[in-house]
Amino acid sequence: MKSWLSVLVFSASAALASPERGLEIAVEADARDQGFGDSTSTMSMVLRDSAGNTNERAIRNRTLEGADEGDKSLVIFDSPGDVRGTAFLSHTKKAGSDDQWLYLPALKRVKRIASSNKAGPFMGSEFAYEDIASQEVEKYSYNYLRDETLNGMDSFVVERFPVDKKSGYSKQIVWMDKAEYRAHQVEYYDRKGSLLKTLVASGWEQFEGQYWRPSLMDMTNHQTGKGTQLLYSDWVFNNGMDEKDFTKTALKRLR
Amino acid sequence: MRSLLILPLAMSISAAQAVEWNGRVDLDARVFPAAASGTIESTQGMNVTLEGFQDLGDHRAVVELVGRYDRRDSGRRSLEARQAYLRFLVGEGDVFIGHRQTFWGTAESANPVDLINQSDGAAQDGKEAKLGAPSVSYEQDLDVGLLQLWYMPHFRERTFNDADAHPSAGLPMAAAQFDRDRGANADDVAARLSTYAGDWDLAFSAFHGTARDPILVVAGGSVTPTYPRLKSLGLEAQYTGDASLWKFEVLSGEQSGDDVLAAVGGVEYTLYGLAGRVWDLGLIAEVSRDDRPQATADQMNTLGGRLTLNDTQDTSVLVLASRDADNEQSFYSVEATRRITKTSSLSLEGRWYDADRPTLPLGVLADDDELRMRFSVFF
Repeated sequence: MKSWLSVLVFSASAALASPERGLEIAVEADARDQGFGDSTSTMSMVLRDSAGNTNERAIRNRTLEGADEGDKSLVIFDSPGDVRGTAFLSHTKKAGSDDQWLYLPALKRVKRIASSNKAGPFMGSEFAYEDIASQEVEKYSYNYLRDETLNGMDSFVVERFPVDKKSGYSKQIVWMDKAEYRAHQVEYYDRKGSLLKTLVASGWEQFEGQYWRPSLMDMTNHQTGKGTQLLYSDWVFNNGMDEKDFTKTALKRLR
Repeated sequence: MRSLLILPLAMSISAAQAVEWNGRVDLDARVFPAAASGTIESTQGMNVTLEGFQDLGDHRAVVELVGRYDRRDSGRRSLEARQAYLRFLVGEGDVFIGHRQTFWGTAESANPVDLINQSDGAAQDGKEAKLGAPSVSYEQDLDVGLLQLWYMPHFRERTFNDADAHPSAGLPMAAAQFDRDRGANADDVAARLSTYAGDWDLAFSAFHGTARDPILVVAGGSVTPTYPRLKSLGLEAQYTGDASLWKFEVLSGEQSGDDVLAAVGGVEYTLYGLAGRVWDLGLIAEVSRDDRPQATADQMNTLGGRLTLNDTQDTSVLVLASRDADNEQSFYSVEATRRITKTSSLSLEGRWYDADRPTLPLGVLADDDELRMRFSVFF
């Protein structure tokens, strides 16, 4: 009887290990986060080197939810002093490269920047541009792997493969809890297929009775021993921002 | 004109309790290894920048004051309201009154279409050093892009270093001459529409007024900056490819009766993840054609590289080399910057001028090679 049961369980999970199931989970996670309109938050970025020395940056984030296209986001730097006032505007695309501009306050200049640098480090951190960009469903293909218990939570384990060839990853493995579809852990594999980084998201808070956001995202680079923590605070949803707050003009006038 | 400057200052001072201030202090030490006899061989300077802003309902007051002192070069001593304006929300647009700074252009080696602000040449601080443009301007985001309209009632003259300082022609500067009857009081108007579509960023502009770049006339043992009239149209275009930025800008028009054309085109290509690290190297190649009498040469070719280490200290190095098409004169520059602490950074810079004949524009600067160290503190 026991052997029959294990055969049954084995074949059931084998049947579930599928691209279709993986996409379903990604679509459901995306659907649960829809309708947030816009959000603002402040972020402290703490870089640490392999010797444990740390280096901190203060950043403000603004995000506008996209309807047909991807989300739009603004990142404003408050410290360190030499980059204060520098701002980064991104119009995420569901397919193809995102549109990105950088505002340089000393020159009062808005510069369009190439977005093929998605695998490059964001502000010297262990987060690549593609890690902090809006995670649109269309940016990956998926494969559901298995169920697993992570930190006591019943979770899906899904692998996803970047569609864009300029991604720095061959694949990512995501642990998402079944109750709320929050990504608690992501493993990033480099182009050679080796484990490169692990992201752990914690301190989840729910806003507006629907939207979950982590207060800490901790990225560890296994190949260099370096890491970066993003500590989020002051989340505010539905600030009444619109498209005009995410234009090149708005970028020049940020405070 | 004075009232345009004082109004925003007065408003921000009256609201001083809530004004947000920040700023920086730059200390620089410069040496001039090729200095001709009788000219200064080294000097030190200090630059203090103070920025403040205050939101007043839908309106905003902005000030950016720069105070600069140089131990040896009086041309480099100044107090400047680079920005001091009020912004009013009017209907669907914004009206700006006061001193304002903006940037037009897309290229790296030269920006002929950048016509709003006069360059604060004596600051020797590259593109960042501009004089505030006393102006009334209007901006509105239209469906087709951002429209800017400018009215500038007063002309700002370029600033120059002392005759025994660097860089300079080694001669005293005489009073400026203007082709327009009302001289510095003649007014300028300008307009620009900037937009983007897909991978293209585009801007169209028009200008009618006094040219920003003076013609330097040497006579009677002095240099007279002479400012022509200018009526011009401008076009800026950038195509953003995968790792390459294609840049083009052109200024075409009439300068004191002569047809003039100045154009810059080129590419910036970035190699990501250099040498198996997170280093990026941006390669810059630009060609600049300029038939104005102010031009250094009819054609300048520029090659450069920008190395970004993407480390926690944001270390970067920019190298540029420009040479005219006749291979007669060259200009080289190196600039390396690195953050030291959360509130300070250090930069090392070098500039070298080379020319076959002393009468060439860069030949005049033969004794102006410079090495500079700059320490900046942010507060």
